[in-house]
Amino acid sequence: MTKQSTEGPTLVWPKKYNEIPKAVFEMEELWPKELETIFYGEEWHPIVHRAEIPNPGDYKAAELGEMPIFAVHGEDGEIRVFQNTCTHRGTSLITESSGNKKELECPYHRWLFNLQGDLVGCPNSRDYAPGFDRKNFGLAKLRLEEFCGLFFVTMSDKTPPLKEYLGESFYEPLSRILGGDGRLKLIGYQKVMYDCNWKAYCDNDGYHAPLLHKAFALLNWQGGKGFQKVTENGHLSFESELKIPDDITALEDGSILDFKGTETSTGSIVQMQFPVTVYSKHMDMLNIRYAFPKGPKGLEVHYAYFSHEDDDEEMLAHRIRQSSNLLGPCGLISMEDASVFSRIDIGNKTPGNAIFQKGVEDEHKLSFTVKQNDESGNLPRWEHYRKRMGFERSES
Amino acid sequence: MAASNITLELKSEVEDLLNAYAQCIDDDKLENWPDFFTDSCLYRIIPRENHEVGLPTAVMWCDSRGMLEDRVTALRHANVYQVQWYRHLLSNPVITSEDGNTFNVQSNYAVFKTCNDGESTVYNVGRYVDVIVRDNGVLKFKERSAIFDTHKITTLMVIPI
Ligand code: FES
Ligand SMILES: [Fe+2]
Repeated sequence: MTKQSTEGPTLVWPKKYNEIPKAVFEMEELWPKELETIFYGEEWHPIVHRAEIPNPGDYKAAELGEMPIFAVHGEDGEIRVFQNTCTHRGTSLITESSGNKKELECPYHRWLFNLQGDLVGCPNSRDYAPGFDRKNFGLAKLRLEEFCGLFFVTMSDKTPPLKEYLGESFYEPLSRILGGDGRLKLIGYQKVMYDCNWKAYCDNDGYHAPLLHKAFALLNWQGGKGFQKVTENGHLSFESELKIPDDITALEDGSILDFKGTETSTGSIVQMQFPVTVYSKHMDMLNIRYAFPKGPKGLEVHYAYFSHEDDDEEMLAHRIRQSSNLLGPCGLISMEDASVFSRIDIGNKTPGNAIFQKGVEDEHKLSFTVKQNDESGNLPRWEHYRKRMGFERSES
Repeated sequence: MAASNITLELKSEVEDLLNAYAQCIDDDKLENWPDFFTDSCLYRIIPRENHEVGLPTAVMWCDSRGMLEDRVTALRHANVYQVQWYRHLLSNPVITSEDGNTFNVQSNYAVFKTCNDGESTVYNVGRYVDVIVRDNGVLKFKERSAIFDTHKITTLMVIPI
């Protein structure tokens, strides 16, 4: 069950479930504990989709917490994730964000690993320490599970199996973001650096969307029906109907908002997986947002966009065009989130609590019933975080 | 290559276009920005990381004059962002080929950004790859791609490059 840490910095947590101490975004000393109990703890973290490394030898670098890792597509067709370190004296093996290699050679003393991670060559090994056995020096592999072509890692043996961890309310919509069957093709990345604490990024909610994002109003784009589903371990899924008006007067060229909708979706799915990954499908954009906290301050987010293997040329062009305009750091309908991340980071340097209101029916207990435009869907995640970090709730 | 057709006059005409474009953005006269393009056009800002491996996704992609205008409308009326100013520095313009009325041009750029805290940062660095045509006697961009090296964008990008 939830691992509780008893050592390290503490923070007295407010009694009311809808109050979050602003200090939680600002106390730098929380970071080592977050690494230990969350990033290196009993959570699954998505690293790569098969579509990003479709051929043998393809690799992609990533980070888990502060640990450099990489995923590589083996000769045998299998995808593995390794720590990015030579088993001799630690030199990092992968230096590019992605690419293709036939084998993995460490430049320092030329140890050579195959794509499956086995050590296959090490010069002058006759003179090595007596106990040396090549078989014991394969690359360090991470525990891995796959869902619809997406590969997740965890540092703990105790993390429950992936589907159990995500829960059906989360993995079912996720499968639709991943094209239904995971047969995706990568169409590109957008990378951005936010200057906030990673938890401010995750705290985005269902309340702000029609209010912050004025483009929604400008487009007379009223949210249709929708709902949120939230799990006890902090995963949150939003689903809503997109009703694009037939006649978009605010835009000179409204074709960018066409919803050709081949997948089963009413238009919009956004999912937040604890601790820090967002997945979304708005109109025809299939998007995974891999997120990498850079310590207590700063979060790097890599938006990866996909098409489906069955797309015809027109659909592919449409997806590329939408993905290149609507979301991400220049997203016509979304860049305001980035502005808020910066501003919340400034505002959180003041004392007191951030108090959630919309959708909170009882301040003294946690609710898992969340309506489309509520912000209370974030509270189960905060509760999960509080427990992971071992912070006591105050009595009064 | 028909290098002989690339006259000094043409060179300076092309450079005038590149300079005027940058000046228009830096002076915040964005309402005039779409006029630098032909009616059917393609304007993209794309990370070099994507471009080099053939991944087509850009961060901005306007393939009609309407889309250029919509970017300006959104920036003026919908998007929320910190007050900021750009300063483009341009260098190394090269006309790589021409065939009478179409000119392929490459140049380098660096955009400095200053926000109201008074700090200037190197915000985005890259190269323009342009297809320039003569449209009723005036040089315009038929295609303009800003292929940027600074592939990790700081916070957001709202003003075109
Ligand atoms: S550190 Fe890699 S071969 Fe020595
Ligand atoms: Fe948002």
